[in-house]
Amino acid sequence: MRDDYHLSDHELLLASDGELSSSAASRVEAHLAACWTCRARRQQLDKAVVSFVRTYQRALDVQVTPVDGPRALLKARMGRLAETRPSRWQDWLRHPSWRWSFSALAIAGLGMLSWLVWPAISPPRVKAATFTIPNADLTPGAAVLIGREEVCRGSGIKNKQVSRAIQREVFREYGIPGAEPRAYEVDYLITPALGGADDIHNLWPESNATTVWNAQVKDALEDHLRDMVCSGQLDLATAQREIAVNWIEAYKKYFHTNHPLGGAYRK
Amino acid sequence: MTEPFTKPKTIVSLEMKEATGIHELSPTEREVMSLFDEMRKPLLRYLGSFMLFPADSEEIVQDTFLALFQHLRRGRARHNLKGWLFRVAHNLALRRRRDDQRDRQSMSPVSIQPDECIADPGPDPEAQFSDKQTQKTLLAVVEALSDQDRRCLYLRAEGLRYREIAEILDLSISTVSVSLGRSLARISRATEG
Repeated sequence: MRDDYHLSDHELLLASDGELSSSAASRVEAHLAACWTCRARRQQLDKAVVSFVRTYQRALDVQVTPVDGPRALLKARMGRLAETRPSRWQDWLRHPSWRWSFSALAIAGLGMLSWLVWPAISPPRVKAATFTIPNADLTPGAAVLIGREEVCRGSGIKNKQVSRAIQREVFREYGIPGAEPRAYEVDYLITPALGGADDIHNLWPESNATTVWNAQVKDALEDHLRDMVCSGQLDLATAQREIAVNWIEAYKKYFHTNHPLGGAYRK
Repeated sequence: MTEPFTKPKTIVSLEMKEATGIHELSPTEREVMSLFDEMRKPLLRYLGSFMLFPADSEEIVQDTFLALFQHLRRGRARHNLKGWLFRVAHNLALRRRRDDQRDRQSMSPVSIQPDECIADPGPDPEAQFSDKQTQKTLLAVVEALSDQDRRCLYLRAEGLRYREIAEILDLSISTVSVSLGRSLARISRATEG
């Protein structure tokens, strides 16, 4: 072995990752046994791997939300898929010649259909449904098992952004599958600030078109109930139940009024 | 006068739902759920390399597991399902990135922020500070890598072999190897100071 010969980073990495053939691995090991410079370099590279993995896992794991909500959603979506037979037509469409034939036929068919039929029909206007109170069967409310201390700690638990998949799922459940997302706020029935769960049973499409009992009014109620819970005037379970049963009635009860107060509603 | 309350509705706790089992799972569903529990976090970490919004990454993971469910129902190959999951998630994320570029919003997606660095808990504040500084430096190096280098690195950190990474990213094995070598050399230089 020449004195000035050293292994490259590339060779050292392949050896550490077990990606070399057995003969090449033996050659690298023999060199490392004799060469302190290469051993030191391998240690540096191993240290870089350790630093990266540690930072990578820590920094990204803090962004991962609890598994319960996504798990429940996946279960529900699989349950619905399971009710349908697995279709086989996609399988033969995978074959390139069938796929091209099918595409050509489909384009020709659609062209013909639109030419013949389109003038006779006009797209129906979907009237936006208004939901001021959620459907109790679809959205009974779901809470996680946390206590008053956690609810009242710091500035409280923030609402998580509801993913588009979950929004679509909520729209589908409420019979408005093609709803314009901007027309609704998919809102938590029991707000996470009061221990509400990140779960589809706790979400409903609150119409933005609602002018009186709207999302801002509900937000005011949520803040008020949290204040009451944290000051010991109301227990957490009662606050969760009241808001889940009928949040408008809860507002009237706890604000002692039949109408939203202040500027919380839009004229 | 306020009207009387409607009949009370049940507050469903997640733990109760798990315990009562609202829907009886089939063996395939059970297998998918078990893989979901094991692989959701690694997939979400890998999707971090695409700089997507967290909610979008979560949606991609959902779609990946629904695709897995269909894959298993059709009796397709069960060989290396872990690699299969990464490949499907990768393809869905690429599609989402294309859609996002077409329909770009003013907000920028969430990436790893240096403020999210967590120092090793220990009694020595100086060591904690140094640990946090090293992490910040390292994250800056990773952010500066090309998309391809970052994805190779993330997949390797999730325990995938070079051949699997090459298949997922549609690269040659030697390209994967060169990419990893390049990234680690940069990380090593940065962390050695």
